[in-house]
Amino acid sequence: MNDRKTVGKRNRTALALLFLALAAVAVLLSLPAYRFTSSVYTKKSANTFVGDEKYQEVRAEVDAVAEEYRASGMEVSVSESVTERTNSKGETTSMVAFSVDNTFTRTGWSFLGAGIGSAWVLLGILLCLAMSAACAAAGTIGSIDEPYRELDGRSASFRSASYYLALIAMVLVPVFFMVNTVLMSRRVGLYIEGLLTDGKEALFSALDGFLFDGQGGEALEDMLDGLKFKNTGTVWLVLPCAGAMMAAGIQLRRGAIRHTVMRGVLYAFVIALCVFILYPYYVMLVTGFRSIAETNDSDFLHLFPVQWRFENLAHIIDRGVLRYLGNSLLIAGGATAIALLCGIPAAYAMARMCFKGKNIFLGFVIVSQMFSPVVLLIGISQLMSALHLYDSVVGLMFINAAFNQAFAIWLLRGTFVSISPEMEQAAKIDGCNTVGSLVRVLIPMAAPGIVTTLIFIFINAWNEYTISTVLISTATKRPITVGITQFSSFNMIEWQNLFAASLLATIPVVILFMCIEKHLTSGLTAGGVKG
Amino acid sequence: MNKTLQNKIKPYIWLLPSIILMAVFVIFPIVIVFKLAFSEVSKSGVVGGFVGFKNFRDAIGLPAFKTVMLNTLYWVVSVVGLSTVLGFIIAMVLNQKFHGRKIARAILVLPWATSLVIQASVWNYIIKYEYGNLNNILLNLGIIKEAINWRSSYQIEFIWECGVGIFVTIPFVTFCVLSGLQSIDSTLYEAADIDGASYWDKLWRITVPLVKPSLTVSTVLNIIYVFNSFPIVYTMTKGAPANKTDTLVTYLYMLNYYNRQKGPATALSVIGFLVLCLCAGVYMVSVMRKEEDL
Repeated sequence: MNDRKTVGKRNRTALALLFLALAAVAVLLSLPAYRFTSSVYTKKSANTFVGDEKYQEVRAEVDAVAEEYRASGMEVSVSESVTERTNSKGETTSMVAFSVDNTFTRTGWSFLGAGIGSAWVLLGILLCLAMSAACAAAGTIGSIDEPYRELDGRSASFRSASYYLALIAMVLVPVFFMVNTVLMSRRVGLYIEGLLTDGKEALFSALDGFLFDGQGGEALEDMLDGLKFKNTGTVWLVLPCAGAMMAAGIQLRRGAIRHTVMRGVLYAFVIALCVFILYPYYVMLVTGFRSIAETNDSDFLHLFPVQWRFENLAHIIDRGVLRYLGNSLLIAGGATAIALLCGIPAAYAMARMCFKGKNIFLGFVIVSQMFSPVVLLIGISQLMSALHLYDSVVGLMFINAAFNQAFAIWLLRGTFVSISPEMEQAAKIDGCNTVGSLVRVLIPMAAPGIVTTLIFIFINAWNEYTISTVLISTATKRPITVGITQFSSFNMIEWQNLFAASLLATIPVVILFMCIEKHLTSGLTAGGVKG
Repeated sequence: MNKTLQNKIKPYIWLLPSIILMAVFVIFPIVIVFKLAFSEVSKSGVVGGFVGFKNFRDAIGLPAFKTVMLNTLYWVVSVVGLSTVLGFIIAMVLNQKFHGRKIARAILVLPWATSLVIQASVWNYIIKYEYGNLNNILLNLGIIKEAINWRSSYQIEFIWECGVGIFVTIPFVTFCVLSGLQSIDSTLYEAADIDGASYWDKLWRITVPLVKPSLTVSTVLNIIYVFNSFPIVYTMTKGAPANKTDTLVTYLYMLNYYNRQKGPATALSVIGFLVLCLCAGVYMVSVMRKEEDL
């Protein structure tokens, strides 16, 4: 009973806090949200030094204009800026520019009727908060003393909804500011410079109505160009209010704010991480399907291509990308086959047989993982010319196989050791020889481990770049990693082709890698991988 | 008698293909590199007689030698150090139970699965000054007012290269640490909870000591991979200006294939190889110790 009483008391406090925060939001939005400054009158006076006669004269003139504006009820101020220059004769000239600035504010509520994109965001914030409060009320009517777990389904979902709606409102607050900045500064600037034309009319007439009461007329572009704005911070204060409402929602929902906040931090971290990791892939994807003009345009505004140019794919295929992919497939496939053909017997011997020098061989296997082909490049290219494998796909297969051999043995040995030898012994009793028992019994049983090893070696060989650049000189024998570099020469990089080809090179291996991802954590550190 | 001999030889026959493969394509190049390093090598690659340590003296005497060595040190220390710390933190987070954990892990694998040339090219485009994607997004969001030159000096470019190196190395560390974390017996934490241990107590007394072996292995392996990493620097700056952003491997590549200074290049190869051997030794000791523990 006591428990119910505390729960009820807490829930009432939470509910009160929630409505208080909602009321605070209403008040905050009726305060000035943005302070705008636009110049209504400018006067430039050449050959004028601050304080001299001409200055006084012009200043008086400007002051008179300002006074006129004040008389009509505007809040204006006079500002001046001085430009000094020294000419070739060493004389200093000075120019004073006077400007009558009109300063005015717009409240949060007034944005709702502004007719620009941010109005929708603000509307969204308000709707979420109002619905959050409504849901909180609906979820507690008649059940305010009951903790969440004893609630009936309807009240429980109302309380949950209250929390989620407040959360959405919180996320939308920064979006509001971003949209405002994009529209009133960046977008306007681009329209005025003529770099963008679509939707200019609509935005300008909306801003005219919102900021200048439709009085902009001819001078509208100049007025918007010289527009300065600063947010007063009142709309930012909606954020803590929404936070308070969310906290209240959490209290109503679970009664454990700390736990929920920790979860929130966890999800925020994971989402931020994923966005960061996906970012280069997003760039690859959208740039790969842009037109060449768009990739080199500093002013394109679109997160996605204006028009998805799938013909980029056709173009890169014309330039031989399919052949490069085929070469990569051949090299990586061949390397994997060789590595496994040599590696499986060796791993089997290491796992099942006792012999002298086993530990030495094991030590060698571990150490040879360290030998990167890059440091040995010079030696490898000499060797390959001696073997007549220079500029040959077969040579690359062997090199990749050899440098992945250690890893193959290490991982396969681990797999074989983890499988009990009893089945093989049974097979031997039934008359199988060692090879038979390996092929018929052990390999099928070790299939998952073998597949993991196979995919890993395949990916390493597929992504290999350095050795291939050195060893392959004929264009048609290049693997894809080398092939894509034809799109970037010193004077010109064809970004769209480069990334379209990169996408084709990346997608298959990424899919393969994701298939073995859950095996990565088991036995990874034992073997040590990545090439 | 015949039977026992056969049994004695048999394991070696099973090992033979593997041994031949590695002997020809791994050991032989090592021998060649060592031989070249102590021989006179002409610009066209003709190998002359034994010259002792002349190539090494030439290599050390190269004007860029000191810069390149320091760069290699900065490169390895910063990339391995930061990716280990960040990878550890990310692994701790991904080891929690939450919705979408599988998706998060699958996404984390991406940089690992992607070819380094491609990664480096994409970042190269992202940080372009005139039309790079980063400037574009920041401008559009109104976070910056004017395009920022992200690569205004070679020092900054080198930092970007390190950044990309860290980006592609983190997944490996994370998965190594995750495999360590998953092998920890959860009853240890339950016992600690009963004893009233705090989160930090559990982190320092249970998690860190038990993850340490995986962390050692991943760190040593990373030192080697990062030391050998060629495509990032080669794609992003090609060591420009004047080898100021080169690391050892890109420098020796340039020296050998562009400047045709084959003698010093092989000497650098040997130096690099010896550094790697040192790491390999440390690695072997730590792996062997881990094997004994099992």
